[in-house]
Amino acid sequence: MPKVTINGQVYEAEKGRTIIQVTDDLGVQIPRYCYHPDIGIEGSCRMCLVEVKGAPKLMPACATPISDNMEVRTDTQRVHEAVRYAMEFLLLHHPIDCPVCDQSGECWLQDYYMAHAGHDSRYPLGQKTRRRKAFNLGPLVKLDQERCILCTRCVRFTRNVTKTNEIQVFNRAHKSEIGIFEDKPLNNAYSGNVVDVCPVGALTSADFRFKARVWFLMGTDSVCAGCSTGCNLRIDHSARAVGGAIPGYTATDGKIYRTVGRRNVEVNKSWLCDEGRLSFHTLERWPRLQHAAMGGEQRIVSDLLPAIHERFDTFRSDYGDGAVAALGSATNTSESLFLMKKYFKGRVDFRLGKEVELYQQQQDELLRRLDKHPNTHGALDLGLAGALNGLRGLRDLAERKEVRAMWISFHPQLVGDDGLEIFAELKRLVRALDFSVVSTTHDFQWARGASILLPMAAWAEEKGTYTNYSGRVQMTNRAVMPPGDAQPLHVLMAELLNLSGVQVSPDPAAIFRWLSREMPAYANLDYDAIGLVGAAVALAPEEVLR
Amino acid sequence: MTPVKSGYAVDVPTINVSERARREHASVWSTFRAFAVTLRRLFTSLVKGDMPTIYYPEQTRPYSERFRGTHILTVRNDGSLKCVACYMCATICPAECIYIEAGEHPNPEIEKFPTRFDIDMMRCIYCGFCVDACPEEAIIMSREHHQSVYNRSETIYNIEKLMARPGIDAKGPGYRPNRPMAEAKIFNKSEQQACPYPSVIEERHPAVLYESMIRRRG
Repeated sequence: MPKVTINGQVYEAEKGRTIIQVTDDLGVQIPRYCYHPDIGIEGSCRMCLVEVKGAPKLMPACATPISDNMEVRTDTQRVHEAVRYAMEFLLLHHPIDCPVCDQSGECWLQDYYMAHAGHDSRYPLGQKTRRRKAFNLGPLVKLDQERCILCTRCVRFTRNVTKTNEIQVFNRAHKSEIGIFEDKPLNNAYSGNVVDVCPVGALTSADFRFKARVWFLMGTDSVCAGCSTGCNLRIDHSARAVGGAIPGYTATDGKIYRTVGRRNVEVNKSWLCDEGRLSFHTLERWPRLQHAAMGGEQRIVSDLLPAIHERFDTFRSDYGDGAVAALGSATNTSESLFLMKKYFKGRVDFRLGKEVELYQQQQDELLRRLDKHPNTHGALDLGLAGALNGLRGLRDLAERKEVRAMWISFHPQLVGDDGLEIFAELKRLVRALDFSVVSTTHDFQWARGASILLPMAAWAEEKGTYTNYSGRVQMTNRAVMPPGDAQPLHVLMAELLNLSGVQVSPDPAAIFRWLSREMPAYANLDYDAIGLVGAAVALAPEEVLR
Repeated sequence: MTPVKSGYAVDVPTINVSERARREHASVWSTFRAFAVTLRRLFTSLVKGDMPTIYYPEQTRPYSERFRGTHILTVRNDGSLKCVACYMCATICPAECIYIEAGEHPNPEIEKFPTRFDIDMMRCIYCGFCVDACPEEAIIMSREHHQSVYNRSETIYNIEKLMARPGIDAKGPGYRPNRPMAEAKIFNKSEQQACPYPSVIEERHPAVLYESMIRRRG
């Protein structure tokens, strides 16, 4: 391993890596615009210049591979001045429209100007070159050519990652600009990522555009629930009540404004698909279920749970344990499915459609998978794909009166359609049952026929773990509060278990520890160690099934 | 009336009330002296016409040019709202009384405009920070300070009310510390024929990008 000296400190680094990759790992800050770890090296912005001993000129850290006994300095006056002049050059024709720019607050130009430049522009504002503004590249992306610094991150993203080549640099020298061909809009399934990679305000999201200023937002690290890939993302939501206490205008419980890809090399690099990126809108698409209801009458959840437990107990004593079952969904967290399995003594299934066949099949070669549920692997690990045979099997059992009372928990899939046949089956199932408890996130037509209707927290409103297609346990976090009386499923299940005499805390950490004690595949997992990037499960689910 | 030093950062005079009452001769003679003052004022106001009082609220005293009354949203020369919905005022506002929603302006040079701009005047503390923060001189303060309403909800001023209301015409602008910009002027209905601000908001359905995302109600 070559030895590299960076700012006087000696480090050992892997051969073949560039200086900026080494310094990023070490935590030494080098300013950059064009370098991004996941899209290839360009070396066009000249911001990452560092002093290398023996080299006559300053070297770009992103494009210079390390060699043995290399001595690098990132903090000299020469480097500082080079960065300062690079900044002045990049800002020469910048329109300084920060007040109306959506990037403002998370703009690298702002950050590096404050850190390294701080100069006055030599061009008066009126004489700067005017270019196209608010130019639609595609359905999700808008381009402002005045703000562009031609780092070509977006160009390299479409060239190297999606391989669709929509965005190109047109013209040369001072006239060069980012653009698309007239007949080829930026409409690939991953177009939203160019907004994430753009270090300045040139590419803005049409979805998030002008919705909020970023300094009002708070980020919560979470996992996408759009498909079984489980891409890591950050949910940006309102941090405080918007607009003070203006009656009727406040979003007191928080509102999700956007989701941004979070880097996890093991799962999604830095990317998100557009469907997953916009999947949080699904929660707003239908009216949410706010209150619990029994026979169409509004009730309090805490009053209903003892009644539910009593009814289930009656069915168990009258018709045997087999008469009571539960149907979860692969969008529920592992914790809630585990507690469900405990309360319903293993008579739990989660299959609504073809989750198990599809959950490892890729929809395209990048990220998307055909199973649009985040936790199919986790549910399989829990052994929930048993003899009940999914939704269809349970409906058969219910119509033959072998199952008489059921808890049905339904969370709509966040990407794509649930399929009308699923709703039809659920409707038949509810009608066939003597006693049905339905916990759903939204006010569905089919669920109205249930004996008891409970509101349930949706994705981003509960904390828990999902296990993705490859067996990686990842944490999904609560970003906003559930509406009305809605509660996470694991809280409802913990309450029922407490009523049945099993003492269990509704804390997801405690439930996970219980889960990892009982499940051999999860035995080595420490809840606190799952953290931001997740942890891999030892066993494949097929082995658990056998 | 000797200043005491101990315990205070500055010199604080102490007042002996009974001592002051003795010195001021609080007796029947002071009543007659008060009548003398009244008679003198009567004489000056009747004969000289020097009136110390005014008929408020029909008449008001002149206010300072820097008076911080209820806000005004200024307009461009074509009568459209000057505000670009940058949220600087909402960010600086210590009372969090400004609520803005932004929209896409038809002119890409302007880019952004407020589709909603509300100030809760009951929450506002009239500090004038919003005026200081505004980069466009789109929000200034007026010399109007009357806040009598029949309904609490009337104290939430929307764009129309912030831009033009009778009080602004009567009192004129107040606190306006920035270099007065030629473009920023107060809305005048007589000059204005067209719609004062673009009310057409571009309809977007961001969630429905793909056919597969259009879903039916279950």
